[in-house]
Amino acid sequence: MIEYLEKIKQISKRLLEDGRVDMVIGFKKGTVPMMNEPCFAKSSGEVEKFVWDSNCGINLANYLTGRNEKIGIVAKGCDSRNIVTHIIENKIKREQLYIIGIPCQGMIDKRRIAAMFEREIQSVTEKEAKITVQGEDFEKTLDKESVLQSNCSICIHRNPVISDELVADPVEEQKDVDRYLDVRKIEAMTTGEKWQYFEDMLAPCIRCYACRNACPLCYCPTCFVDEHRPQWVGKSQDPTDTRTFHFLRAYHCAGRCTDCGACERACPVDIPVRQFTKKLEKDCLELFEWEAGMSLDIRPPLDTYRPDDPDDFIK
Amino acid sequence: MEHMGIDSGRLQFSWVSSAESTKFVDVVKEVTEAIKALGPNNTFVKSETKVA
Amino acid sequence: MKIFTIDKQNWAPGLEKLADSYSLTGPVKQGQFHQFKQLARGELPDFNFLNTRLSAKRLVHPQTEAMFEYSLDETRDDHHIMKEVNKDHPPRAVIGIRPCDATAFLLVRRNFDTPLYKDPYWIKAYESLVLVGLACHNPCSACFCTSAGCGPFHEEGLDILLVDAGDNYLAKALTKKGEKLLNAAEWDKDAQKDAARQEIETMKKAAEDKLTAFKNTDKLKNKETTELYNAPFWEEVAFSCINCGTCTYVCPTCWCFDIQDENRGKSGIRMRNWDSCMFPLFTLHGSGHNPRSNKVQRVRQRFMHKLKYYVDKYDNGIQCVGCGRCVNLCPVNIDIRRVCELMNEYDPELECPV
Repeated sequence: MIEYLEKIKQISKRLLEDGRVDMVIGFKKGTVPMMNEPCFAKSSGEVEKFVWDSNCGINLANYLTGRNEKIGIVAKGCDSRNIVTHIIENKIKREQLYIIGIPCQGMIDKRRIAAMFEREIQSVTEKEAKITVQGEDFEKTLDKESVLQSNCSICIHRNPVISDELVADPVEEQKDVDRYLDVRKIEAMTTGEKWQYFEDMLAPCIRCYACRNACPLCYCPTCFVDEHRPQWVGKSQDPTDTRTFHFLRAYHCAGRCTDCGACERACPVDIPVRQFTKKLEKDCLELFEWEAGMSLDIRPPLDTYRPDDPDDFIK
Repeated sequence: MEHMGIDSGRLQFSWVSSAESTKFVDVVKEVTEAIKALGPNNTFVKSETKVA
Repeated sequence: MKIFTIDKQNWAPGLEKLADSYSLTGPVKQGQFHQFKQLARGELPDFNFLNTRLSAKRLVHPQTEAMFEYSLDETRDDHHIMKEVNKDHPPRAVIGIRPCDATAFLLVRRNFDTPLYKDPYWIKAYESLVLVGLACHNPCSACFCTSAGCGPFHEEGLDILLVDAGDNYLAKALTKKGEKLLNAAEWDKDAQKDAARQEIETMKKAAEDKLTAFKNTDKLKNKETTELYNAPFWEEVAFSCINCGTCTYVCPTCWCFDIQDENRGKSGIRMRNWDSCMFPLFTLHGSGHNPRSNKVQRVRQRFMHKLKYYVDKYDNGIQCVGCGRCVNLCPVNIDIRRVCELMNEYDPELECPV
């Protein structure tokens, strides 16, 4: 994946020098292990700071909403599907974008790695498919495959579905992946168990809205939790309000979520936020044969009516 | 809703046109009886703000 | 100032004795990280941590706090009267708070306890605490407490400083409250004073040397506020920000809150909730105007507030204790240490006008 970086820089420089775009959005090296910071380059000199590695899990499509410039953007498979959704939903025009497509081999999960070590991690480096973790008095090399983010380990759309130029040949898509094992586990619980499962999951939530703000789909000028005349949802730590926020946000992402994992990555208290949207993703697939962001030409299921839409739940 | 732990008997969808008044009455009666049989709901209800 | 030595075998028995007169709070591992939790009888605080995920400010300033309550139920004597929620503040010992978090209380106190205005909720809660600090031997790599006016063995704001010395703890009694607690726990064995002092100094220096991310803050005071405000680097700094509330909520020195009422049927409360200057609605006026409606304005405001306005207002350093939580937890890795350097080193004369 590191070879991608040269290509990204090359393409970005060319785009800026030719005036094809006003800015390129990519990543620069972070200041703590396993993090990179989204950034922009407006001139070819600024492109030097770009990086690309397995710590680029943030979804850059989040930075496109409402921009008017011509933008070059580095996009993995999931990001590209969010860009499609953005275009379908009129948040950005296709002509504004030059999509630098990344055939992605997965991002590593910093929480999973941190949990494997008692002491603080000081640096994490990667070479080919191996990740080396170093601390004050320890060093360990892991297989990248064993420490992928959970959404990456079940990803079936690693190649961008839309792009102007790919930085490398497409990678092989994973086959025979069970995407909904965790959802089925919950479906098998009793009502009481399900309730408690989510109560426990939501207990640490501090309503920081990192999940919402990291999500490229959450772009409402006024989010429903911020509506205040009248107020729709309470802003306190009341558990009913907190649950309402997370589930209602998941509903708003139904049929649009690409499982990019940005929400889960962003959460400061390690809540597995994807557990709220996974069920809706599964339902959209089973009820409407729908996967978000795969095509610019088909309207999403919650946008269209078909006479054969499932309606056996209506009594 | 069911997935998050709400009893499936408490949520019902029905399509009733404003011209189907009999159906409306029937649906209301049926749902009211069904809910009463389930007893008071104590999940996902905010009777007062639960705070420090 | 007395220094006591606590044999680790006396640790649990001492805590047991304390539980008779204090409610005990300490760091406990929940899931992947540590949180401050009220300790059950016999439960020990877990000192195997760098710092708690969320800061100790919630012990004094809960995220949601009911301030007043009322009932419209006319069968009650106090109907239609809005009255303060009755809160008990029995003495509470916080065992294992890091020096940075304790210093943070002092920085926040200058807002909540002034000659003109006093916040009774905050003050009562704070004064009921006895802070037993745990010195850091291994500050984490994102910590920069020594750049922010405190340090891994800093004593300001603590009642006792506990230093782990292997088989025993050395306990420096810093205040009367601290001495009283040590007595209650019967941790009253005097340490050999000079040797203990030396031992602590050595460990303190070793810990401070581990902090490599030192950032200068010396030039912030003399910078022209408007020049810093108009500096060209804000757009670049703010680009990645997603305007969530993570940094403000985990920060021990951030204290903004919003008061609102919630009622249901015949009763209700007036409560305050943590608020964040990062949220778009933070500065929304009743008229509909919002002076900080865009992201760059908000991000700039946060760093100016913490690293410049407070410096100007109180002339006592930055409103930051260098705990490193925002650095580690920011979803997009915006680093206050980097911004501090940008601000401290900013010189408009050197900027190219283009």
